[in-house]
Amino acid sequence: MAYPRDIVPPKQLIRFFRWFCDPELVEDLEGDMIELFEERSRASSSRAKTLLAWEILLLFRPGIIRNFEGNKNLNNYGMIKNYLKSAWRSFMKYKTFSAINIFSLTIGMAACMVIFLFVKDERSFDAFHEKKDKIYRLCEVQSFPGTNTQNVALTMGGMGPTMATEFPEIESFTRFWNWGDQLLELGEKKITIERVAGVDSSFFEIFDYPLILGDPGEVVDEPLDAVVSEEVAMKLFNKMEVVGETFVLDGDQCIIRGVMENVPENSHLQFNILLNIKSAALDNPDFDSQFGGNFLNTYFVLNEGADLENMAERYPDYLSRNTGREDVNERYKLYLQPLNEVHLASMDIEHDYNNHRKFNGTYIDVFILVGIFILIIASLNFMNLTTARASNRAKEVGIRKTIGAIKGQLFNQFILESIMLSLMALIFAIGLTLIALPFLNALIERQLTLISIFSDPLLILIILSISLILGILAGIYPSLYLSSFRPVIVLKGFKSYEKKSLFRSSLIIIQFSLALGMIIATLVVIQQLTFMKNKDIGFTTDHILLLDMNQQTREKYDELKQALLNESNILGVTGSGQRLGNNLHQWGYKVMYDTGVVSVTPSNVFVDHDYLDVYGIKLIKGRTFSKEFATDDGLAFIINESFAKELGFEDPIGQKAGHSWYPNDSLGTIIGVTEDFNFNSLHYKVNTLSMVVHTDWGYSEMSIKLNGENIEQGVKDVERIYDQFVTDYPIDYKFLDSHFEELYKSDVQMGSVISIIAALSIFIGCMGLFGLASISIQRRIKEVGIRKVMGASAKELVALLSKNFTVMILISFVIATPITYLFISDWLENFAFRIQIDPLIFLAGGMIALFIALITISFHVIKAANANPVKSLKYE
Amino acid sequence: MSKVSIGEFEEIVMLTVAVLYKDAYGVAIKKDLEKRSKRNVSLGAMRTALKRLEKKGFLTSEFGEVTAVRGGKRKRYFKVTPYGKKVLEQVMETRKRLWDAIPELALDI
Repeated sequence: MAYPRDIVPPKQLIRFFRWFCDPELVEDLEGDMIELFEERSRASSSRAKTLLAWEILLLFRPGIIRNFEGNKNLNNYGMIKNYLKSAWRSFMKYKTFSAINIFSLTIGMAACMVIFLFVKDERSFDAFHEKKDKIYRLCEVQSFPGTNTQNVALTMGGMGPTMATEFPEIESFTRFWNWGDQLLELGEKKITIERVAGVDSSFFEIFDYPLILGDPGEVVDEPLDAVVSEEVAMKLFNKMEVVGETFVLDGDQCIIRGVMENVPENSHLQFNILLNIKSAALDNPDFDSQFGGNFLNTYFVLNEGADLENMAERYPDYLSRNTGREDVNERYKLYLQPLNEVHLASMDIEHDYNNHRKFNGTYIDVFILVGIFILIIASLNFMNLTTARASNRAKEVGIRKTIGAIKGQLFNQFILESIMLSLMALIFAIGLTLIALPFLNALIERQLTLISIFSDPLLILIILSISLILGILAGIYPSLYLSSFRPVIVLKGFKSYEKKSLFRSSLIIIQFSLALGMIIATLVVIQQLTFMKNKDIGFTTDHILLLDMNQQTREKYDELKQALLNESNILGVTGSGQRLGNNLHQWGYKVMYDTGVVSVTPSNVFVDHDYLDVYGIKLIKGRTFSKEFATDDGLAFIINESFAKELGFEDPIGQKAGHSWYPNDSLGTIIGVTEDFNFNSLHYKVNTLSMVVHTDWGYSEMSIKLNGENIEQGVKDVERIYDQFVTDYPIDYKFLDSHFEELYKSDVQMGSVISIIAALSIFIGCMGLFGLASISIQRRIKEVGIRKVMGASAKELVALLSKNFTVMILISFVIATPITYLFISDWLENFAFRIQIDPLIFLAGGMIALFIALITISFHVIKAANANPVKSLKYE
Repeated sequence: MSKVSIGEFEEIVMLTVAVLYKDAYGVAIKKDLEKRSKRNVSLGAMRTALKRLEKKGFLTSEFGEVTAVRGGKRKRYFKVTPYGKKVLEQVMETRKRLWDAIPELALDI
């Protein structure tokens, strides 16, 4: 019948009800519901609908729901139900095996999930910029005389603007000039804000850092325009609406034009306040066309179809015209680095200071490879155990076939079983990952969460299909094997049917080759990391506190130093222009030969007189800096061994040398030569270095050597004395050894991931071995019994039973060794200072694997060897 | 006493069916039940009880005529069977005997 318009019961609800309701009940119940609905609709139609929905929900209960089970219908429900039931029964009957099966797959999947999360996190860097595929970073290859060739991400101030006008491919540019920590004045209040930088007005149009307040096209248009992050807005003004507020930076009043969201962790640029870049060059109208020093990053947006190689051909011409220097193309080569390579493919770039959490991208590939390995090991385990267990299911197969099952049905049954197990493993794996993630996050200093997977339906689908495919792949062989049994043979008695399985042995060998490879790799990685940790790098990094300098500490440097030195817990105080642990900046340098003055470009650092003493850097020749010689301030140089070799003097001491800007007739003197010390990370060779004292330049960092036995007190002393001298700036310090740890973080993290995975893979491998050993020994139990009766000792039996497995491990060893060697030596190429690969390591890895494997099977072996032969022989 | 078991709700439903006599179909039973017992009864709970009772043989049911209301769906009318009646009487009998057995003072709380 036709209802009045507004009292039609919702169709979908009724349809749903009809779907689930028992056909016998559907008519009168639906009638009852509609009657009630019509009656209620007279009062309120919306309420009637709600009540109807509620009613239907309450009807969704046993007794009303129809029988969905198949026996009345023409479909496979009944059969599938039977499959599931027999799968469950065999699962429960052989609990150990099933647990090993599922658990090893679980571990494999969990490891893969974690690796996936890690890789996803690393790959997410800078991916949120809409123009990410068109953004490039300008880099230089510098080949200066007297120094190693190096890649540098810093560029000159004039390059951005001039290249943007000269190259039609460039749509827009922005520069990023990191000003580090800055002191902001807000009336009386003074606050240090970290990570302040200058950018061009186009910055927010090129990069998509979301603005909360302000228009991306306008916020940094004029000099002294500023954009602050939410966090800074709260810190400075305790509110978010700060547009129009002002602060004083370096004597200039800056005005806030916009507020941005805090910069996400996965951005290679990190900043809290951005100012128009001209704010630092107010009285320098030529800033946009300056060439010379490299101190800022330059980014370009290229138009579609820009040809990088074609552009590269025009760089030399561009450089020589703009810099006005003939030799510029011998020294500089420009290249563009795509934005998506900045985070993961910048390990070859040495002066790369604005690259947050820079990571070695090749490690990502290693992780993926390792993840695949562990999944393979787990699946092989699965295949192996299922096949080995086949005899348990043989009777079932025989009977099913006799009753009329065809091969295809049996195949489906076992595939279904395998898929079921792999889905179960997936569920456990998710749980395991949830439990393990907090610990892993602490270890590798990340904030990985599973949420990032579950928020993406596509990813869920992918993971589900991977587990499905895994289930199918791992199940295919066992299913084929099981479903091909001939009923007569299996029903007669299966035992004679089974021969030695070459297939299963080779699976074990593959598993153990992979596991062995990872064990050996882990050992080498650990060795290299220990080597780097313990290598004598030529100076002391222990108990050295690095104090950030500021205007006040620079003014009172000498008094502060004296006051610190008066403390008993402070053993030495010195100053320097740069921190050890990076490549030190290269400056132009002159050396006087008999034939004339030659220009070279070593790394340079200016230091305080007692620098060498505080850091324990050893002199080979000459003397260290001394206050007694007035010329030691600016006119005396101490060089390192590499530089001395490079210069080629028979005796470098006393030779004339100096900064490039010194006139030829007033050069200084080389007064000493030090041993080569690794001022840069051990990834790089020791560069040529010259050290000089300039007391009037103002050190950027004070190095304070504390008494190692009383560090806490030492730090307290430093803080107390600092507060006596400095009123405007909060203290900011760091320990040198933690700075060095930072240098090798990427390597150490890779090391820990590899170790964990190696441990897991051997663990999974052993679980498989454990299961397999129990089966194969079970099969030989009569043989053991007879041998024992004939007089074999337990010892002989153990040797006999272990023989097969030992041979398999040995074969794995032979396979794994050369492949691992190639991988490992390739990895070690990353380090200028590296260990020699020791063949003993391989042997040790092999022994470890063998040892673990033998211990694993020993449980079964010893039990079998010591068993009472009567027990195994009495039933015949 | 026989092994017949009957729950409190089932008992009430059966009694209501008996009360309504010729007019005992879903909505009517539900309304009467709600009115007398002063509690909300969902169609689902009631219908499962009716189904159970029918299966136990305490009730029978048959369809009524097609009408223009109720979306053209027929009503299902329920009737208490003689066996059902016997069971109801048994229950009452049991209760009555229990009441009779209570010492007079026990409930003078």
